[in-house]
Amino acid sequence: MRSRAPFHLIVPGTAAVVLLVASLAGAQPPRSEESPAARPVPPSATPQNYVPELVAAGRTRFAASCGFCHGPDATGGSGGTDLTRSELVAADVQGDRIGAVVRAGRPEAGMPAFPALAAADLATIVAFVQDQRAKAEGAVGGRRSVEVADVLTGDARAGRRYFEANCARCHSASGDLAGVASRLEGLALLRRMLYPTGAGNVPARRPTAIVTTRAGETATGEVAFRDEFTIAVIDADGRYRSWRTDRVTVAVDDPLGAHVEQLARYTDAAMHDVLAYLHTLR
Amino acid sequence: MQPLRLTLMALAPLAGMAHAQTDGWPTYHGDHTGRRHSELVEITPDNVHTLALAWAFQTNLAQQVKATPIVVDGIVYLSAPDNLWAIDALSGRQIWRYQHPANDAFHIGHRGVAVHGRSVFLSTPDAHLLSFDRFSGALNWNVEIADSSRGYWATNAPLVIRDHVIVGVSGDFDNLPGILRSFDAATGAAKWTFYSTPPAGTRDSLAGGATGGQMWMTGTYDPELDLLYVGTGNPTPVLNGGSRPGDNKWTCSIVALDPDTGEQKWGFQVSPHDTHDWDAAEVPVLVDARIDGAPRRLLLQASRNGYYVVLDRVTGDNLLTTPFAAVNWSLGVDAKGQPIPNPDKEPARDGRLVAPDEVGATNYRAPSFDPATELLIVSAADAYGVYFYKPEHGEYGWAGADYTVHSRGELRALDFRSGEVRWRHDLYGAAGAAGVLTTASGLTFTGDSANSALALRTSDGTTLWHAGIGRVGNSPVTYELDGRQYVLIGGGSGLYAFALPELR
Repeated sequence: MRSRAPFHLIVPGTAAVVLLVASLAGAQPPRSEESPAARPVPPSATPQNYVPELVAAGRTRFAASCGFCHGPDATGGSGGTDLTRSELVAADVQGDRIGAVVRAGRPEAGMPAFPALAAADLATIVAFVQDQRAKAEGAVGGRRSVEVADVLTGDARAGRRYFEANCARCHSASGDLAGVASRLEGLALLRRMLYPTGAGNVPARRPTAIVTTRAGETATGEVAFRDEFTIAVIDADGRYRSWRTDRVTVAVDDPLGAHVEQLARYTDAAMHDVLAYLHTLR
Repeated sequence: MQPLRLTLMALAPLAGMAHAQTDGWPTYHGDHTGRRHSELVEITPDNVHTLALAWAFQTNLAQQVKATPIVVDGIVYLSAPDNLWAIDALSGRQIWRYQHPANDAFHIGHRGVAVHGRSVFLSTPDAHLLSFDRFSGALNWNVEIADSSRGYWATNAPLVIRDHVIVGVSGDFDNLPGILRSFDAATGAAKWTFYSTPPAGTRDSLAGGATGGQMWMTGTYDPELDLLYVGTGNPTPVLNGGSRPGDNKWTCSIVALDPDTGEQKWGFQVSPHDTHDWDAAEVPVLVDARIDGAPRRLLLQASRNGYYVVLDRVTGDNLLTTPFAAVNWSLGVDAKGQPIPNPDKEPARDGRLVAPDEVGATNYRAPSFDPATELLIVSAADAYGVYFYKPEHGEYGWAGADYTVHSRGELRALDFRSGEVRWRHDLYGAAGAAGVLTTASGLTFTGDSANSALALRTSDGTTLWHAGIGRVGNSPVTYELDGRQYVLIGGGSGLYAFALPELR
């Protein structure tokens, strides 16, 4: 299966690319994008020091533009993740990772882009986030933390029965999910189990579409964009092609549709049972 | 609960009810009723496919346009956090601009301004209320609504009733009392403060120790009853319900207030003891209809918690409570019409799968009521999230963690009498950001979750026009100027005016 990395993760020569290649089912994002609240604060890539003036200026800038979603103290707010537990932030040096995400945004996750942010302003935000992260390294039990043990309340045997009845049409414990718990655990595994999103909440597996024109030409590929008016696919040659939806016939296969249907069927007990079962797949 | 027994009776607008706007869009909701329905009929289902760009205004901000533009006497007033523009409604040219000094309050969005006489009123992120001369942009006065250093901020479009400028604030990350305030339109002098939860340093048995209940959305007004209706926000601490036992009144409620005193006349709680951030701040839409032959004054709300409610707005009595989107958190509806929260769906250490998610079944995006079809058209979402709380998360601010799992946005047309969905229109993405406008010619204007502004046929939701102007983040409005009808829609960081091509 071909995997395409989201644009903001294409950082040549970094650990992110290595993790991407090593990821689940070939299409999984690096672990740095998985629910950082489930893990302890990761160690810094490089010890970093930022002058207090920069940190103070960053506190103001961060609060105004980022604080609602990520929390005024960067430990998570309304919808945004706890940045003090982010591996991307941990791997960042002087804004080399954070800058790309801030400038491009994560539209699918609701994060706006700040393409015009001045380099000086970005530097203050990075200083503040890194300072908060350094402080969190010494703290115990973050405000938004969800530990692995917290979510392991289910019955793995019941979970296996549920899995075999409801999930086995697409998944296999010895196939695509073999060893999944050695790659993901806790909240990260739970979120991925419920609806597998990658970086920026892009579905981990994009739908595929067969587009048939009025002339009878067909094109098949991964859906790059789809709304009421436009269908765009990346065809077998890697080309981006788009059509008006009223001029073609489109057949879409969304492998994640079953996950959405399952959300309305899960009881909390069944959800935790399945999670407990997946945790046994090491 | 049974559907509302109003069937087969025609809508009968009551005499003296604030009439729908015609030439401008003078208030946040267009008029006092919150219907966002225009009587303008130049643009019709037959000609809307020819709608073309008249002008575009670029804010040159990184942020999306989220405000409803206010249009008075040929001038458009557009706001964003720390920003206010006066724009020529004929040409899109900037007349003047105000930029507020930099401040560290949240700049999450801004809903709009209010206009009264020669004044235009702007709330700011640092929770001040400013009055300007609306022709020159000269500052008349600047007062503090609330102390932003304690965690308050403001996005609110004020509502003017007589000489009262009524404005609310936000503040979910700190345990702060919910306040709505009135200021004198001429002088800025504070007149009254309504507390949805007890003032700092006090407790009452109704709130059960809860703070919060911020009134961050603009209310509606019935001039004959002289009652102001406003929705209140969620309690704080947000996800930790154990620290604030009971219903936590008057959070997540619709309250009726005397606009001269701020005194509460009645309240209806849409989400008793909320633990999911589902405020009831959504628009209380005022509609009059006959029930069993007698005229009734009604209040409709499609609420963030997934329930559609109909109240008698004289008394606050509930007439209907029924879901309009995926809901799995309640045990049903009690005798008073209030959903009964399922304790097993409160945030827990191991996580609970809850519909809707925190963003809600709907949110700030305004619905519209179309009298001809009797449809309340709502930007809805079927959405799931996982909610966590454990004692280590504490009793302050958010006090827990939640993550959206999946969200699917859909425009839904509700029969206002039964809440039944008459048609659905896929928004191609997660919960939408665009509000809704209907016109008397039978058109619905809104935006999808992808890239387009839309015009739909109100009776069945069929798409009649679209424009790929970027994701629509505000509620469209319409106005007439020099005999020509314009539709204003925000796309990305720009504001676009559309009109029919002129015949030469």
